[in-house]
Amino acid sequence: MRISKWRADLLALLFLLPFVLIYVLYTIWPMIKGVEMTFYKWTLIKKMSYVGWDNYNKMFHDREVWEAIWHSTLFVILTTPTMVVLAIVLALIANRKSRLRKLYRTVFFIPSVLSVAVASFLGLFIFQPYMGFVNTFLHLIRILPENSEIFWLTEVGLSWIAVSAITLWWTVGFNFILYLSAMQEIPDEIVEAARLDGANNWNVFWNVTLPHLSPITKTITMLQIIASFKVFLQIYIITGGGPLDKTRPIIQLIYQTGFRENDLGYAATMSYVVFVILLVLSAIQYWLNNRKEARA
Amino acid sequence: MRKNIGLTLATLMSASLVLSACGGNNGGGNASPEPADSSSPSAEASSSAPASDSGSGKQVSLSFWTLFSGGDGDNMQAMIDEFNKTHPDIQVKNTKLEWGEYYTKLITAVGNGNGPDVGISHTSRLPDLINQGVVSELDDVAEGAGVDWGTYNSNLLNATVVDGKHYAAPLDTHPFIMFYNKKLLSDAGLLGEDGKPVMEQSADGFVAFLDALKQKLPEKVTPFALSNSNDDPFRLWWALYHQLGASDVISDDLGSAAVDADKGAKAADYIQKLYTNGYIKKNDPDFYKNFQSGTAAIMMTGVWATGTWEATKDFEFGAMPIPQIFDQPATWGDSHTVILPVTKKEDPDKRKAAMIFADWLASNGQIWAKAGHIPSKPSVLENADYKAMPYRSDYASVADTVKFSKPSTKNWQIRDNALFKYLNEVWAAKMTPADAMTKIQAEVEKILKE
Repeated sequence: MRISKWRADLLALLFLLPFVLIYVLYTIWPMIKGVEMTFYKWTLIKKMSYVGWDNYNKMFHDREVWEAIWHSTLFVILTTPTMVVLAIVLALIANRKSRLRKLYRTVFFIPSVLSVAVASFLGLFIFQPYMGFVNTFLHLIRILPENSEIFWLTEVGLSWIAVSAITLWWTVGFNFILYLSAMQEIPDEIVEAARLDGANNWNVFWNVTLPHLSPITKTITMLQIIASFKVFLQIYIITGGGPLDKTRPIIQLIYQTGFRENDLGYAATMSYVVFVILLVLSAIQYWLNNRKEARA
Repeated sequence: MRKNIGLTLATLMSASLVLSACGGNNGGGNASPEPADSSSPSAEASSSAPASDSGSGKQVSLSFWTLFSGGDGDNMQAMIDEFNKTHPDIQVKNTKLEWGEYYTKLITAVGNGNGPDVGISHTSRLPDLINQGVVSELDDVAEGAGVDWGTYNSNLLNATVVDGKHYAAPLDTHPFIMFYNKKLLSDAGLLGEDGKPVMEQSADGFVAFLDALKQKLPEKVTPFALSNSNDDPFRLWWALYHQLGASDVISDDLGSAAVDADKGAKAADYIQKLYTNGYIKKNDPDFYKNFQSGTAAIMMTGVWATGTWEATKDFEFGAMPIPQIFDQPATWGDSHTVILPVTKKEDPDKRKAAMIFADWLASNGQIWAKAGHIPSKPSVLENADYKAMPYRSDYASVADTVKFSKPSTKNWQIRDNALFKYLNEVWAAKMTPADAMTKIQAEVEKILKE
């Protein structure tokens, strides 16, 4: 008995081995090397010199870094709640018994198949002044006077709105599908029972649907926070981080430091600090969830 | 219905494929290291070969990395084909890289010992490449290959000499110049008999010229097409700053920031007013398109646009040096140069062949000038093919007044992270020119100290 279990483990290990080897070689090992990098001045070509904690020291006093971290955080704050609400609303619409049901599902999900570059360039076209869709539309419905333009892409506040809107449009499809499947898992009997007790639509949504969506909401929130914190390409393409670096997220700063300013050591240091921030966020989230579940 | 959705989906997906293919680079895929074949076994045989190794029967093959696309890319390929045809003993293989990633790839490849035998560098990037040990000195090999540095334009050549040593053979210069739409100018009565704009070359004269364009042309026409951020307005600022007699934003020893705040602010203030007084369209999404579609009277950018305008149907335009607004003629410019990257085994045969190739490219600049660049050898300017091309001779004189950056290793960081950043704020009227100069001084200092 014992022996056969041991053999089964060995067999499992054997099957896992190819993956484990590659995973260690291409993920774990580079992560360890990455930590080493943070203690060196390291260019794109080679290791230059050992600098101790200099990179960390520099980072904690570097205003650009903290501003960039704040921008990423701001993006999380802007997109996470809106994403959750929008995804639920879209799922509710698509979950209604309607002849357009299939159309809704397709339309809501389609943007997700685009690559980030396509979504961002569409965003650029939509929000650009003079011939962009948004301004033209606002002119058409006479909200915007004929001779004025809204510069969505070059004003700090407006460009946050533009970037967030594009991101929501582009990524909501995936979360929408998650919510839709969660809604379809809610047993009809419960809804029927509620209706018999005299519940209206609002009561059903608030007391039946929403509580059932709670586990998936936690997952989506966590995934969204991490995804939003890692924002880079949309912003890079749409605003380039400007004006005055006021929309530059931390990942863009890491990219610029590493690959444009040729300072991989410092870029690695920033990356690890971001990694720790995300780790702490995940841990807090995990801890909160477990505590709630334990209490319930 | 369903069919339509499928169709839309298919269209979107193929669009996404196409677009992402544009974004992601290729071209570099076949950038394999030069196989160390043919030349190595016969290395010693060559040392006894005569100086002109044509007809020695042994073929040297060179790998050449370029960053040119579009018209530039085609012209370069045409030159390489021509060279290969006329030099049977040297065969050059061109690898086109995406220009945005070119320097990163070059630096890493040379660092790994997989770099090319010949490469391209902008003059402004040269000091950085020298500092990183990517580029080799040329004096010995140039002598062996019989290169006469005296045949190059001295203004362009001097910008590639660091500490008295040659590091590159200049191929061209591509300065910032002015283009004008002949039809619109003549509508406004501002085109002279000679086909040139009627304009007094002074600070007030240029503004009066723009004002006349604004008054006399329909409201939809932009008097002066220029982007509202980054490169082109910066280039105009750089030109005016040097027209006032200033010289770069760093000290001669390259160690500290030296912004001439008064001159810098005066130049920035002049340009800011062109924006705020409505001569330049605010936040123009595409100023090239604006000029190209005949809705802008003048525009300024690099000479490379010449080829684009020529290829535009029914487009009557002219080209000229940017007006002398202040005390002396000056403009922004950079050069493409040919470099010999450091290789693992410095094969003298290959280096000599590479140098012959580099000098040949410069001597045959009339092909290269098709895209609009000004050739680096004055003798090419006398070439019949060059003279037969319109527009080029209207601005060839600019080569002598291009103000290059000083040879700092931080040139492009200074440009991107200090100059672009604060000047953009000035153009958007969110910062005063004087404030911007103070901030630029501090930022340049910070970059130099890093």
